[in-house]
Formats: sequence, C-alpha cells, structure tokens
Amino acid sequence: MTHPQVRVDPDLPEFLWDSDGADAAPPPARRPAKARDGHIPGEAGLWIFILGDMTLFAAILIAFLWERRSDPVVFEQSAHQLIQPIGAVNTLVLLLSSYLVVCAIFAHRGGRYPQARRLVAGAVSCAAVFAGLKAFEYYSAISSGHTPSGHMQGSGTFFTFYFVLTGLHLLHVIVGTALLLVWQAMLKRRRSWTGSQKVAEGIASYWHMVDLLWVAIFTLVYLVSAE
Amino acid sequence: MLTNRILVLCAWAGPATVVVAMIGWLIAGVLPVPLGSESSVEAVVSFYSHDTRVIAGLVISTIGVSLVFPLIAVIAVYMVRMEGRTPILAFLQLITGAATGVCLLLPLLLMTTIAFRPDRSPELTMTLNDIAWLLFITPIAPFMIQNVAIGVAILNDKRQTLPRWVGYVNFWIAFSFIPDPLAFFFHSGPFAWRGIFIFWLALTTYSVFLVVMGLTLRKAIRESADPDVSAVAAAAA
Repeated sequence: MTHPQVRVDPDLPEFLWDSDGADAAPPPARRPAKARDGHIPGEAGLWIFILGDMTLFAAILIAFLWERRSDPVVFEQSAHQLIQPIGAVNTLVLLLSSYLVVCAIFAHRGGRYPQARRLVAGAVSCAAVFAGLKAFEYYSAISSGHTPSGHMQGSGTFFTFYFVLTGLHLLHVIVGTALLLVWQAMLKRRRSWTGSQKVAEGIASYWHMVDLLWVAIFTLVYLVSAE
Repeated sequence: MLTNRILVLCAWAGPATVVVAMIGWLIAGVLPVPLGSESSVEAVVSFYSHDTRVIAGLVISTIGVSLVFPLIAVIAVYMVRMEGRTPILAFLQLITGAATGVCLLLPLLLMTTIAFRPDRSPELTMTLNDIAWLLFITPIAPFMIQNVAIGVAILNDKRQTLPRWVGYVNFWIAFSFIPDPLAFFFHSGPFAWRGIFIFWLALTTYSVFLVVMGLTLRKAIRESADPDVSAVAAAAA
C-alpha cells in the first residue's frame, strides 16, 4: 500500500481497502443498548461464560460425589491424606484476594488509582501464594505415590478427581491472574472508570467465580469426603 | 444477491454439520454408545465386522464433518469485517479451523479403513481403533485457538457485527475442551475417551459452537443485507 490515503481500490479485496471507509455504513448503534432496569456486573454475555464454567465444575463435583457413594471408606482415608491446613489457608488467601478486588473496584470507581493498583497487586500476590501452596500440595501428593494418571478404582478415583478439579481450578487462577494484570495495566494508564467499567467489573466477577469454585472444591473434596 | 445467498448457505452449513454427522454416526453405530477404551477385543472386532453399514455411516459422517469448512469461511468473512485493515485473527481462525476440520476427518477415514478389512488380526484392529479414537478426541489445541480468536475478535469489535455473548460462548467452549487430553491417561470412568467429560461434553459443546455460529451469522447476514438492498433501490431511482 504505497498510497495509504487512497481508500478505495477496486482491484483489491474488499477487506484491504474499506476498513473504515465504505463499510462503515452500519453505524455503531445498530444494536442499541436495551434500557436496563438493574445493573449487571460486567455485561450480560459474560455471565453465560461464568455460569457455563460453574456448571461444568458442578457436573464434575456431582460425578465425584457419585463415585464417593460406592466407596465412602476409601474416599475418607484418601481425603485424610490431603494436607487440610494448606487447603484451609488457601481458602482464606482466596477470600482475602476477593476482598482486595472489591476494594480495588471501589478505589477505581473513586479515581484513587495508586490505591487501586496496590490493591490489585495484593490480589495478584494472593494468587501467587495460592499457586505456591498448591504446588507444594501436588509435590507431597505425588511423592507419596498418588499420580493424576492413577486407575479409576479405590483411592485412584479420589486422587483422579482431586487432580482434575484442582488442576482445572489452578488453570482458572492463572487465567484470572493474567486478567488482574490487564486491569493493573489499565490502572497504570489511569483509564477512567466510565471507559473501563465493563472490563474491570468483568475481571472482578471472574475472580470471584474462581474464589467461589475453590470454596466448593475445598468443602467437598477436603472436608465432606473426610467425614 | 447471489453473494448473500452463498453466505447464508455457508452459515447453514454449521447446523447441517451436526445433523449430517449425527446421521452418519447413528448408521455406523458410533452413536448412541461408542466403543470405549475399556471395550473388549471381541466388541471392537464385532463393531467393525458389520463392514458395509459401518463404512456407509462413516462416509456420510465424513461428508457431515466437512460441512464445517463453509462455516469457517463465513466466520472469516465476518471477522475480516470486524477487524478491518489487519485481519490477523481472521487468518488465525481460518488456519486453525482448517486444521480442526482435518483432525476430525482423519480419524473417521481411519475407522473406515479398519472396516475395509475386518478379518485382519484382532490386535491390529484394536491398535488401529485406539489410534482412530485418540486422534479423534485429543487434538484440541487448534480448535481452542480458533475459539479464542473468534471470541477476542467479537469482544474487540466496536460495531458489534456479532452479539457479544457469542464471544463469551466461544471462550466457554474452548474451556470445555481442556479435559480431553485426559483420555490418554484413563481406560475407564468419566475421563476415559468415552467418558462424560470427554466424548459427550466435547460432542455437546462442539454442536453448540456449530449451531450458535451458524444461526447468529445467518442473522448478521440478513441484517447487513437490508441496507444494501435499499441502497440499490435508491441508486436505481
């Protein structure tokens, strides 16, 4: 393109010339925002993802409880081999990070950028602590002979679900941390609340989902199974 | 408007993929209950011994699965409109979409080949069946990249060519494929290749992808066609 000022070149495929020229015909307001009665955090579409995600986790947890019914004694013994204090500390760490995210939302809304950045950084450090403790937990489980590729019988079933559930959750923690860092970068550029509300609220909602999923996993895998 | 008619046809190819592939699999016997990693040698050999029915069904399903290619093309056209001058995500979607299509076709052709000579040694049939199924289930990365590319393009699109929830649905579909490589680790249970979180989940969310993309694109085509028609009418007058 030696003449970028020439918009329309009929010899080129449509997408090479009418990026913001001729094809701009449909105005941005083609899908007018519906008048809303209540406020949805982030945006409505985000909740399809969040609820879909939680449904999948719920399905795996139900399958876990189903398998537990057939062998409650082995599941109890296996659950006792998990290091419960680490799970409890991790629960508190994630709850604290959720609280920090809520405070960061308020700080961002109030235009207190340095404070919001510190709070988001705090939430990211919580995520790092969580991942570190999780890695230690995996290390101790694997070194005592429990691997993710165990057979689906007895304690193998328990540890399969343990690794699948916590592994999928850890992946969410990693994605959530990346999203928190995106938010952090927005705060660094002092992006105003009106321009970034959707993204900031979406990231915060995602992070709360990560927290909520962990509470469910901790309750069912660490506590209920050990009963 | 011939172009529009082709676009609509390509969009309908999405839902058609589900229907034709399902018909093929029902005829072949892949559905309702597919062979599992725990299936006995006898079960696997007897599945492929109904060679004519199995081959006919699988051939129909390869046609069905190939109908995804027109859908990928129409997705690309709309992603180019979303991205404008540098449609990198549209190209990414084209490449990964094509790779996904091939990854779905190959195992079906392999299964057809197994049925081609069903009287071979059972160990060979077993091995080929393992290869076919694991190839079918586990290569998820191209499709996940395709989903993420579509999702990012939709969410970055200021003009909202496609509704934003479609972007989030694509992220969720990508997530639902993550358990699939577990099929390598398990021979039975919910995480084996026939398990509920592997074959059945992937089948469900892939069908959701094909139907949602097909129907929302058809709507977008119809909406973008209207101004053109009125513009032509105005020019004629």
